[in-house]
Amino acid sequence: MIKTMKPWIAGLCAGALAALAGPALADYPEKPVTMIVAYSPGGGTDTAARTIAKYVEKHLGQRLVVENKPGAGGQIGFSALARAATDGYEIGFINVPSIQLVKRLRDNVPYELSDFQPIANIQLDPVVVAVKTDSPYQTLSDLLADARERPGEVNIGADGPQSNNQLQLAVAEDALDVDFNFIAFDGSGPAVKATLGGEVAASLPSLSSAASHVANGRIRILGVFARKRNPQFPDFPTVSEEAGVEVPSVGASLRGIAAPKGLSPEHLAVLEKAFAAVMEDPEFLAHAESAGLPLEYMNAADFSAYLADAETQLDKYIDLIR
Amino acid sequence: MLENMILGLGSAFQPEMLIAVFLGVVGGVVIGALPGLTSTMGVALLIPVTFSLPPQVGLAMLGGIYCASTYSGAISAILLNIPGTSASVATMLDGHPMSRNGEPGRAISLATFASAIGGVASVAALLLLAPQLAEFSLRFGSPEYFLLAVFGITVIASMSSGAMEKGLIAGAFGLILSTVGVHPLTGTMRFTFDMPSLYDGVPLVVALIGLYSIPEVIDLVKRAREEHGNDARVDASGFLAVIPEILRQKVNLLRSSLIGIIVGIVPGVGCSVGGFLAYDAAKRASKTPDRFGKGAAEGIVASETGNNAVTGGTLIPLLTLGIPGNPVTAVLLGGIMIHGLRPGPELFTTNAEITYGFIFSLFLSNLLFVPVGLVIARFGLRIVQVPPAILAPIILALAVLGAYSIRASLNDVWIMLAVGALGWGMAVLAVPRAPLVLGLVLGTLAEGELARSLALVRGDVSAFALGLLTRPISLVILGLCVFAIAHGILQHRRNSKFLE
Repeated sequence: MIKTMKPWIAGLCAGALAALAGPALADYPEKPVTMIVAYSPGGGTDTAARTIAKYVEKHLGQRLVVENKPGAGGQIGFSALARAATDGYEIGFINVPSIQLVKRLRDNVPYELSDFQPIANIQLDPVVVAVKTDSPYQTLSDLLADARERPGEVNIGADGPQSNNQLQLAVAEDALDVDFNFIAFDGSGPAVKATLGGEVAASLPSLSSAASHVANGRIRILGVFARKRNPQFPDFPTVSEEAGVEVPSVGASLRGIAAPKGLSPEHLAVLEKAFAAVMEDPEFLAHAESAGLPLEYMNAADFSAYLADAETQLDKYIDLIR
Repeated sequence: MLENMILGLGSAFQPEMLIAVFLGVVGGVVIGALPGLTSTMGVALLIPVTFSLPPQVGLAMLGGIYCASTYSGAISAILLNIPGTSASVATMLDGHPMSRNGEPGRAISLATFASAIGGVASVAALLLLAPQLAEFSLRFGSPEYFLLAVFGITVIASMSSGAMEKGLIAGAFGLILSTVGVHPLTGTMRFTFDMPSLYDGVPLVVALIGLYSIPEVIDLVKRAREEHGNDARVDASGFLAVIPEILRQKVNLLRSSLIGIIVGIVPGVGCSVGGFLAYDAAKRASKTPDRFGKGAAEGIVASETGNNAVTGGTLIPLLTLGIPGNPVTAVLLGGIMIHGLRPGPELFTTNAEITYGFIFSLFLSNLLFVPVGLVIARFGLRIVQVPPAILAPIILALAVLGAYSIRASLNDVWIMLAVGALGWGMAVLAVPRAPLVLGLVLGTLAEGELARSLALVRGDVSAFALGLLTRPISLVILGLCVFAIAHGILQHRRNSKFLE
């Protein structure tokens, strides 16, 4: 008797709890949700954040207000997100692997990766190998051959220092057993400019910042650091297939949504559903395509798994760029 | 191409374009005139608004803000001795003395018309020569940037107005301050005291607010009991009276416009440097350089023509190559991309109506900020008559608000106050503050580019030196540096002899 009653009582209690909590949760969100962006207004991350904020409103039922907390390579904004309220009204836009690199390469960074609850990944922007159109390097093999002939003398530019691009270069050098002369630039844009001006032999920008120059016929892509070819750019080979060696794509830059740890599962479900819906919204997809945003959706579980995997990868590679 | 231009001209005069330009210009003048509100912020805040507008209308509005705010920093520089933006620091050197001499209206209208002329000249360069000039910007490599920064630093002599030694000390201190933060190539932290607010270096706008606002507030408080000399009665006709005076300075206008455009084409240098270099060139070319720093009209005209000529220049690499030259154009790039437009040749062919419509709207913006600026300045002139006891707290409040709002950070307010204390000390000791700003602006550029130039030759100093002497553009800038330093020393000697 008691045995049969237990689930019944539990069910009743759960029902009563649900009935009590029901109205409050059903109303979430009742007011605009703030989204912390750890970079300045107008940058790539900010543009992506504002674009998604605009289109998610319809699916969330409330406005998503972008709040820029730029500075210190994202550290200020990421730290603010880690300490933000867990009531579901403060979420943030996080950049992977920047959020991990900042933590590992600096002292006294006041957050742990476990302080964040991933909600959804929005973008995945791989690192590419770019040369200018009239470069003597026709394929990645040409570039690698030259680098092996003159170890440490071929200049490669990229955003840096301590960026995801530099990380990708270090991983590639390790996997392919070559040694380039890394030149840090103040962002992917200046690195591409130096490539166009012939100041560096090649550069390692993000795919999104190289794409328009490819369309203009100013640069060529020798390879993309990715597991498989990009459906948007099926002509660009991956580095692994060109080199014949598996090169991990840990440098790829992800942009996703996260909340501070402690967000209730109910709020997480509401947010996850809204972002899943916006990633299928034809208006948003059309806008993202015309603006060249490299979308890649992951739900909360997949995004968490990606982060965990990136952590183990970083254990292996972090010393290469320290 | 002509066909495309006519198409663009037609679209620039659509009613919605005119409204967008007008709103952008009014917003821009206000943003620029208030210290602490920057053009970058204005443009960034408006980008979400321009989402829903047709691309050329949105761009026209952003362009209006950019042009107008670059100009209107001069208003507060002249009236309050506080630069509204870093671009107006050189304007202040003569603008504020002229205002103090009882001619604030004349100073403002000189600045206004000069800005418009510089702006229009640079948009003309953008319209007619963009592809050719874009190729030039690509030939600018790290060694050229480094030398350009060094050349900029030689301008300290002109900024010091007679107090050469003090100016050099201030400039050197600015250079030292510019080393705070992450090293641009190695990522090493320097002088950051574990404060994340300092990782990116001493924030320029925050420092600027402190350096000029705080000493002004203290000065006003000291004067609060004295009767305030409000001899600033200026009627609107006075504004137009300067037109013949400006038109007489043909050479100055041409030279300053060219300097501004060239600085603009080179990505990463910025409006303030255009103003500084143009001011310096005007002073060197002047037969009476002694009047500079004491309210010389040529100084105001040169600085304002120079800094506004940068605006059109920066758009050349932006539109043709997709390379932004300063934070504002970086934000503009985001605004262009968000409409699905890609910088490059197709912007001038497939999307010609949008692009040329935007370019022609920039002509309108540069002309429209003249009446808008003068109307706003007419009210602004009353600031000079506001009793110090009221003005001082207002300026202090604006300074705190401005410093806070840039990154929503209270730490920036403390940095602002600390730099303010430094600025007050400098004011008391009559140390010129402009060289410090110059050092802070150019130090980061000089250090980063020197490190990068050396990294490119793997630290081989002789290869680096050979590069400086064999690259044509760097050779020209090197020549300019040598000339500037030699000229400065000779003039200093001559002045000293004259005094004896």
